[in-house]
Amino acid sequence: MLAAGLAIGGLGLLAGVGLAVASRVFYVYVDPQIIEVEEALPGANCGGCGLPGCSSAAQAIVVGHLAPNACVGGGADVHEKVAEILGVEVELKEPEIAQIGCRYSVARADIKYLYEGVNDCRAAMLLHGGAKECPIGCIGLGSCISVCPFGALSMGDDGLPLVHENICTGCGTCVRTCPKGIISLTSVSNRILGEFTTDECTAPCQRTCPAGINIPEQLQQTAMGNYLEALRVIKERNPLPLVCGRICPHPCEFECRRNLEDEPVAINYLKRFVADYERESGQRLELFKAPETGRRMAVVGGGAEGLTAACFLARLGHSPTIFEAMPKLGGLLRAVIPESRLPRDVLDWDIEGILEMGVEAQTGKALGKDFTVASLLQEGYETVLLATGGWDAMLMRGQEPNLDQAVPGLYLLLPLSLAWAQGMDVPMGERVVIAGGGDMALDAAKKCMQSGAEQVTVLYRRSQQEVGLTDSEVAQLSDQSIVLHFRATLFQFKGVDDQLTQLVYRQTASGNGSQAGGSVSRRFKETAIAVDTVITASGRLPEMIFVKVPGLEGEDTPLLWQTISPYHQPTTIRPEGLFATTEPMSDYRAAVEAIGAGRRSASSIHLYLSGKQVVPPENMITAQTEVLDVSQIVELLPVGPRQKMPERPATERIDPSLEVELGLTEEMVRNEAVRCLNCGLICYVRSKYH
Amino acid sequence: MGDYLLLIVSAILVSNIVLARYLGNCPFLGVSQKMDTAVGMGMAVIFVVTLAGMITWVVQYAILNPLGLEYLRTIAFILVIASLVQLVEMFLQKSVPALYKALGIFLPLITTNCAVLGIAIINIQEEFNFMQTVVFSFASAVGFSLAMVLLASLRERFPTARIPSAFAGMPIAMITVGLLALAFLGFTGLTG
Repeated sequence: MLAAGLAIGGLGLLAGVGLAVASRVFYVYVDPQIIEVEEALPGANCGGCGLPGCSSAAQAIVVGHLAPNACVGGGADVHEKVAEILGVEVELKEPEIAQIGCRYSVARADIKYLYEGVNDCRAAMLLHGGAKECPIGCIGLGSCISVCPFGALSMGDDGLPLVHENICTGCGTCVRTCPKGIISLTSVSNRILGEFTTDECTAPCQRTCPAGINIPEQLQQTAMGNYLEALRVIKERNPLPLVCGRICPHPCEFECRRNLEDEPVAINYLKRFVADYERESGQRLELFKAPETGRRMAVVGGGAEGLTAACFLARLGHSPTIFEAMPKLGGLLRAVIPESRLPRDVLDWDIEGILEMGVEAQTGKALGKDFTVASLLQEGYETVLLATGGWDAMLMRGQEPNLDQAVPGLYLLLPLSLAWAQGMDVPMGERVVIAGGGDMALDAAKKCMQSGAEQVTVLYRRSQQEVGLTDSEVAQLSDQSIVLHFRATLFQFKGVDDQLTQLVYRQTASGNGSQAGGSVSRRFKETAIAVDTVITASGRLPEMIFVKVPGLEGEDTPLLWQTISPYHQPTTIRPEGLFATTEPMSDYRAAVEAIGAGRRSASSIHLYLSGKQVVPPENMITAQTEVLDVSQIVELLPVGPRQKMPERPATERIDPSLEVELGLTEEMVRNEAVRCLNCGLICYVRSKYH
Repeated sequence: MGDYLLLIVSAILVSNIVLARYLGNCPFLGVSQKMDTAVGMGMAVIFVVTLAGMITWVVQYAILNPLGLEYLRTIAFILVIASLVQLVEMFLQKSVPALYKALGIFLPLITTNCAVLGIAIINIQEEFNFMQTVVFSFASAVGFSLAMVLLASLRERFPTARIPSAFAGMPIAMITVGLLALAFLGFTGLTG
């Protein structure tokens, strides 16, 4: 016994002394800053910074691999303390806060079975993905609450986790824990940038809205009387609520689930009410803006699309400038919509609000005349967004035919044909590319050859068979230096200074169907060809973002630029190339579509500036996505009928400047907002769960 | 010489420490999600196991046997291995910083790796001499690394594989390990 004790004790003593000596002998100097920083960090080891713990984070911060504000758990206080230790300034960071993406607890949702197992969402998830019918619904066992290192979550009375926004640090532990992935970190920027995905609970109305407004939230806030909150929700996706509240064709209402029962909720009237409410109060709602980045970008076109893009860029912290050819901003909204539908002072209030967000505007300046894409890039604008609209917008400017080249060397076929018809002599480069246009393209090609072109390349999106040309016809054209490519679409322009030099087109592999709506192959071949003049047979130019070709900057070197396409409307089928098969070949049909396109352009520019790929989220809901839905609605709470918009009596409508629709009263608004079923994927307000 | 070769083959393939003896499962499953961490862990294990094998052999024959304290083997070995890992960590940090960076986070994990203790005890049970101990410890650790690398290379393909959701994560890893072990069973009889 004694021997045993001595032996083990001796062995331990030996090891202990050995280690003590070793720690002296092998002493390694550790930067005291690392120790200090580690002490300043919260020590929750939440992993929100992306490293396994606070001590590795401290090391990475001191070495410079992580920014001083990398600790998401610590918040501004910790960032300041760390920065103080390091002797640097911290950039302001927009707080991100956990948000629960499910609105119906297990008690209020349809379920598959009763769960009586281990009290943990992750365990319940193993049994057919939880008890709920809805595959992305909250399981409600509170795993997120138990893992939160800051105690910022608790179970609410409604059976859903409740985020205490003032405690939540946005560390993301709950996001990683939730087996359903329904918790997300949100910030205003995220909500501006985001697209609806299949991982989210979305209502039919918001999926349909071209601007992607969170309509259920808007209506819930309206029903509670929080009109300004409702407006805030709208303004995260649509900076022109007064305008849209009056002229929007409201596709959301056609998809409203109430259609299955009686009449849709008057979503647009309610939008107009909250927007009018702000305007009548005379006080503008203060909106969140991300910290200034100091980066400048140009937006060409001051219509709904350009205004939206600029407004959201400003809210993301950038400094955009709008260039508008007309003397006043507003584009088609100002030029063509009658005052009886959209009074101009209403339009002005919305535009003023956008300018107050930090948007500069230069009016009366036309691209291609007063400045060029290259001159803007030279002046220090990092990107130039083309949001000029198309043929309609050009007509509105009253010059006929308008051959302005917004993009150097690029014509629309429509005004060009008009100019030819009037006998105008249009200068042509040697190498011409014509995109689309069927037989008209071939006529134009021949005309180009007469006007001085040496080689004309025609790109058809359809196959040779679909275009209806025989091999001998193709060979004949080829003898006349007219080369045809099939299944090819424009993809990118490149140029030097004010000269178009190169064009990239994409060609799908032959043999797969190109019928609209069919699944489109992602395989394509990219070809670059030298070009002087491009003619497109569309009624408008697609949105394009011009940027400098990176890595080629110098004092004397010419300015090389190229275009990037923003990612496009989720509902378009856009296999490749600039134009989608279902995209409008002329201007957008409604302001709200232009607003959606403007927001996506802003989002694309933001992605580009952050050094990320300009692509939408992988699981974005598109026209082809099958989303869970219901085909009938039952057990509704009794509510009144849809409110009717009060209108100016017919006798008083002589004056065309007086608005016909007068707006709902507050009482009507309350009655209307409660008609909303607060739909989720398959949940909605039902009497049996109420 | 032939004996040593037999010992090596038997330690790496036939009685693979993880797949045949089922020791060291925690790091085997825990750190085998990525190839580079698996390789790092494997190297650290080779290093520590070989050292631990030698030292525990000395402890057994120089201290425990003469004093008749064989029954204290486990506790004594744990003590030795724990301090050894600490010492190795300090030594590497000072002398071979590059190796320390590469193995750094795995070293403390090895303290709790039962394969290390297991190999040390097998060395004694099999009544190996010192040279055999060195060879067997090294070869067993190589066997561990081999298993780690094999599993990691399989697990790296999981994200692209269509795994039924009920099996995603650990369950499919366990099944894979089971199949690996079955495959290694095929080596039985190789050494006669």
